[in-house]
Amino acid sequence: MSETTLDTLRPGEAAHIIGLTPGHPLRRRLMELGFIRGAKVSVLRTAPMGDPVELRLGGTELALRRADLESVRVRL
Amino acid sequence: MSLPLLEPAPRLPIHDAAACLQTVSRLRAARAPRAVIVGNPNVGKTTLVNGLAGTNLKVGNWSGVTVEKREASLTFQGRSVQLLDLPGAYSLSPHTPEELITRTALLDEAPEVAINVLDAGNLERNLYLTLQLMDFRMPIVVALNLVDEAKDKGMTVEAAALERALGVPVIETVASRGNGLGQLIGAALERAEVGQGVTYPAEIEGSVSRLVARMAQLSTLPTHAHRYLALSLLEGDPSIRGRLAATGHADLLAAADREALLLDASGEDALITVAEARYARAAQIAQAAIPQVVARRTLTDRLDSVALHRWFGIPVFLATVLLVFRLTFSVAAPFVALIGGPLQDTVSGWAAAALSWAPFFLRELVVGAVIPGVGTVLSFLPTLLVLYLAMSFLEDSGYMARAAFLADRMMRSIGLDGRAFIPLILGFGCNVPAVYATRTLENRSDRVLVSMILPFMSCSARLPVYIIFAAALFPKQGSVLVWAMYILGMAVAFAFAFVLRRTSLKNEGGGVLLELPPYRLPAPRVLWKHAWRRTASFARRARTTVLGTVAVVWLLLAIPAVSGSKFASVRPADSLFGTVSMWVSPVFAPLGFGTWQATGALVPGFVAKEVVVATLGQIYLGEQAATPAPLGLFAGLKTAALGTWTAVKESVQAIPTVLALPSLGADASGDAKSPLAAALAKAFTPAAGLAYLVFVLLYTPCIATVGAIQAEHGRKIAWITVAYQMGTAWVAGLIVYQVARLFL
Repeated sequence: MSETTLDTLRPGEAAHIIGLTPGHPLRRRLMELGFIRGAKVSVLRTAPMGDPVELRLGGTELALRRADLESVRVRL
Repeated sequence: MSLPLLEPAPRLPIHDAAACLQTVSRLRAARAPRAVIVGNPNVGKTTLVNGLAGTNLKVGNWSGVTVEKREASLTFQGRSVQLLDLPGAYSLSPHTPEELITRTALLDEAPEVAINVLDAGNLERNLYLTLQLMDFRMPIVVALNLVDEAKDKGMTVEAAALERALGVPVIETVASRGNGLGQLIGAALERAEVGQGVTYPAEIEGSVSRLVARMAQLSTLPTHAHRYLALSLLEGDPSIRGRLAATGHADLLAAADREALLLDASGEDALITVAEARYARAAQIAQAAIPQVVARRTLTDRLDSVALHRWFGIPVFLATVLLVFRLTFSVAAPFVALIGGPLQDTVSGWAAAALSWAPFFLRELVVGAVIPGVGTVLSFLPTLLVLYLAMSFLEDSGYMARAAFLADRMMRSIGLDGRAFIPLILGFGCNVPAVYATRTLENRSDRVLVSMILPFMSCSARLPVYIIFAAALFPKQGSVLVWAMYILGMAVAFAFAFVLRRTSLKNEGGGVLLELPPYRLPAPRVLWKHAWRRTASFARRARTTVLGTVAVVWLLLAIPAVSGSKFASVRPADSLFGTVSMWVSPVFAPLGFGTWQATGALVPGFVAKEVVVATLGQIYLGEQAATPAPLGLFAGLKTAALGTWTAVKESVQAIPTVLALPSLGADASGDAKSPLAAALAKAFTPAAGLAYLVFVLLYTPCIATVGAIQAEHGRKIAWITVAYQMGTAWVAGLIVYQVARLFL
């Protein structure tokens, strides 16, 4: 049950969300898309130059940059 | 009653139009109920609306092409309904101008019913919006769409269970086949319900009810929105706060702040609590509606494992773009030749026969200027139609979103993000809709920046200029030259993005979120509609702008500026046009094309780039143009029919060659020595021709693009864009000419 941030996950790995760093500009938007406590998020792949990273959450696929993933705290 | 809530709309021409539309709609409301159609992006909303409204769909051209609010009226069992199609939104807290349009409509247009389109394959996230709509206390019906796609993902959604859980009618629809649409309208008219929204934790509900009570005492806010507004205030939605502050609701804001403090004290972060409560309820409903999920590898997974592959992703993208361009040229080329050749000859012949009674100058104007000028421009319609079809396909299939993902890292190095890549690619088609497409970007500085560099993307109207010069001066390296122009445009655009980002239009920050919707085969009807609408607007310009410009240029060419010449029979060099161009031309001498002819042709290019070719034709061929022989009705029909047959045959033959390996240098020689190409080969040295093309590529956005930029970002930005591009074009032309002179 180790805590980390989402940018440390490799493609194929999954984790459960703990929370989003307060004050992050994407906080509201991500919450509306389902980035809430307990939700399961998996890392699908990274873009050709290593950034951004494609994620799946529920039935949604979306991509975030590594810098923004640092503000998503997750539990493995 | 609800006007004070009108959002600080983005600066669009839509503002006034929308305001007067609202007045009209209120007057109308007494007779026809209004239904708004809301849903997440990519849930098949457009297809559903097309299916419902059929050909009745009126597309307002006041707010762009990609992003717009569309209206239609339809009659269902003798009752008429007004449909209002709104841009896709994930939630009712707007992040982009297009989401703002959606919320503004819900607040201000006071629709009688909302038709909420859901993606069955992504129920939980879609229900978030549904539950927010229920906070709006507005009667709702749900269209459960994309059920087949959900099955592909291994989910079976039970509409009846969903209906029980939501408390509103749920109609299963297959928008692409038109199934369930009649039932949907019937339900919207007869059975819409407010539904069972979320019950939030007690502290939140307490605050909400106190705020709602306060709003009830005011008469300024629409009743149906009270609960939604109270929740938005507690969540700290900045745009709602700003709007209420601006409309004299300071007391209400103060009350909301007190409630927020109260919540803070009890350890609640309203934003998190509300979002979690909505998702908890959404999960509960989704579970009730989808008893079991058998996870399966979807088509999207399989396609993305190639399209977004670490090594193959970018080659696949480049190959796709190459394929689109080759398709555009080879399949459309025979039809281009048809319109510019046999069809135009036929029309000219008929016109010459019909105008045999008319005075000489009138016949000259019609047969010598209007028909060839407009004909030249119209001859690019097949190219555009194919290009727009391909682009609509890429957009609607979901591939464009992948391009944003692949390009993000590159765009970051110039201070933008992947989403900005899409308007830039659309700019290759036409800069005007591309400017409107910037509305999907979140930050104003990004929207301004992209709009300012967009005109450097070589739109399809510039292509004719490259093609005719390639045929005249570089017949062997035609496609290399055209490619070089596209790449140069992009390079200049990126360079300026880099500079502007570091100087005046700094990054506002804000994080980057790219959506990757599932791949979908676009419905051919919708595809055709998109492409046709874009092509038709180009054709309309041929009828208005281009026709007008050609006529004015003809008139200026007809007015003598030296004594002794007669109206309409003066040599071009002695005309008013020639004389004025001659004064200006020294400016371009260092660029190698300081002749009055070359200079003169640039001026109408400000109106529309495609006119440059038409004007070059008027000027260079003006002296030698033989009046076409009058054609009889039958002879004309024969010419046209034969030409059409040849074009169809050649176009079909060209399809297999699209997939062949690109053979640089083989094409672009179709009209190798057309009279204009021959004239240009004499008038320009290769170095000067190259500099001319670079100048045409960069020198100014056309008037329609300037108009779009002004509408989006104001007059100042629009004119700055024109001015800095002029300067850039001159400098780039100078460099190219001076360097190329050494080698060519």
